[in-house]
Amino acid sequence: METKPKPYLNSYLAGFLLGLVLLAAFFVTGRGLGASGAAKSVVIQTVASAAPEYAAENPFYAEYFREGPGPMKNWLVYLTFGVLAGAFFSGSMSGRLGFRVEKGPKISAATRLIFATVGGLLFGLGAQFGRGCTSGAALTGMAILSTAGFITMMAIFGSGYMIAYFFRKLWIN
Amino acid sequence: MGPLIPQGFVNPDLNLLFAFVIGLGFGYVLENAGFSSSRKLAGVFYGYDFVVLRVFFTAAITAMTGILLFNYMGWIDYGMLYINPTFLWSAIIGGIIMGFGFIMGGFCPGTSLVAAIIGRIDAIFFVAGMLIGIFFFGHFYDAFESIYLGNNLGGVFVFESLGMGREWFALMLILVALTAFVVTQKIEDSVNDTPRLVRDARPSYVLPAFLVIFASVLLLVLPSQPRSSWRETDATTILEELASRKHYICPDHVAFSIMQGKDHPVLLVDVRDPADYNRFTLPGAINIPLNEILQRHWRPVLESHDYRVALFSCSDTHAGEAWLVARRAGMKDLKVLEGGLNNFLYSIFLEEVVAERERPDCLEVHTIRFRENARNYFQSGKAIKEVERPATPVIKVIEVQMPASGGC
Repeated sequence: METKPKPYLNSYLAGFLLGLVLLAAFFVTGRGLGASGAAKSVVIQTVASAAPEYAAENPFYAEYFREGPGPMKNWLVYLTFGVLAGAFFSGSMSGRLGFRVEKGPKISAATRLIFATVGGLLFGLGAQFGRGCTSGAALTGMAILSTAGFITMMAIFGSGYMIAYFFRKLWIN
Repeated sequence: MGPLIPQGFVNPDLNLLFAFVIGLGFGYVLENAGFSSSRKLAGVFYGYDFVVLRVFFTAAITAMTGILLFNYMGWIDYGMLYINPTFLWSAIIGGIIMGFGFIMGGFCPGTSLVAAIIGRIDAIFFVAGMLIGIFFFGHFYDAFESIYLGNNLGGVFVFESLGMGREWFALMLILVALTAFVVTQKIEDSVNDTPRLVRDARPSYVLPAFLVIFASVLLLVLPSQPRSSWRETDATTILEELASRKHYICPDHVAFSIMQGKDHPVLLVDVRDPADYNRFTLPGAINIPLNEILQRHWRPVLESHDYRVALFSCSDTHAGEAWLVARRAGMKDLKVLEGGLNNFLYSIFLEEVVAERERPDCLEVHTIRFRENARNYFQSGKAIKEVERPATPVIKVIEVQMPASGGC
């Protein structure tokens, strides 16, 4: 029998705490947080291991192997290990662990998974152009008041709101 | 003292440990805020749940305000923080694609990781898709390169782009955020048809909101100079003082002070090496070698209001340098003996003041008489016996442990 999950943290308190984490990241490293950076490292490492000739020819990969300890011994990768551990801890403390598909009421689980994959694909692609995702480019950029942060943030949410209507069946009745 | 890693305060081997610890906090907060739920995340686009906006905006203004305050207190060096560069079209196109990804996938990369680890299968698919998307970008990198690397505006600040002051922009952003919180709450209530009882049971945010506004106004009022440089004199002021030459004191004035020590106390400070000082110096002079001028224990000596301080060296070169650094460090009212020891000896002992006119004016007569008196005074050996140093504070030369570097 499943116990009822604990309620979420107050949004403003959560935001304040997240702001402190971001401030700590700036205080320690001089740069903010990031989540897509680790995914990029994983892709680069995987491709370079599986197909070294392919990676050597492509400038996108080549720059990561020119010098340094390689893409996996990287600040963002270890940050992401921390993110996974922290989230797992929070989820287990609040009784939210468990395999399931979360979806809107009108679609099947298969539809949800297809759209999740496509969405992930687009987000991964967009994060390369944007030089970071919602956390690395938009949130971090806003905190340091960079123009790029504000442009990326407005572009993400601007396009999201413009197309939300067409995808409403995915999420609402 | 911050940021720690760029300034070398942290052993590079510990960097990754710090990364993990900060990641722990990041992941914990994201999950606990509800970001592991795609339906909650998507709510921001349909008006039924604005948790994304609330957390995102609160985090951004908290970190922004914190960075500005840390910078002001001298705890973090704003100039050393990484400003993500603005590649205009790449940022816009990337953002638009990410918007599509957000609506379709219901996650962003950070939130998908958080949801995947607690078992949301849709999030695991999202992460897999994300890896494919990154591979896709890499595969077609040649085609994307011109957009990716084009229109580089560099690491520009948004307040510069808008032509605003940094603190004004920060205040504006905070007010925008607070307005958005109020408006989106109303939208959320009407979309969800929240019962009156639930609305009334919510905590009041008037006090926190008031505190935030107060903090942001405080940011505006505080001088923009970081605390580490409060005491420093700015370069323009020093240049003006140098040009006016008012920091020079003439040999006659110094001689007069030595002779009339008690009424016009001047502390003579010999900035030459101790060896030169021990061989010969002016009566009553103390020795602060040039390279020690900024040491903390000399500061009360040099800044005392009980006497004037005149720095001297052989010429006025080294004394002038000592004046410059001391002035830059914020010390006031220091003087430099014009022409140094050489000029002093020449003026008092060698130079014959000759009346240029048949009837010399008062000043010339006065100078001739004064110099005669001074010569007698110094040559009779009175100077050595009678001159008393002004009462200088007790100097305890205790080596204070200073931070390794930086304005810690």
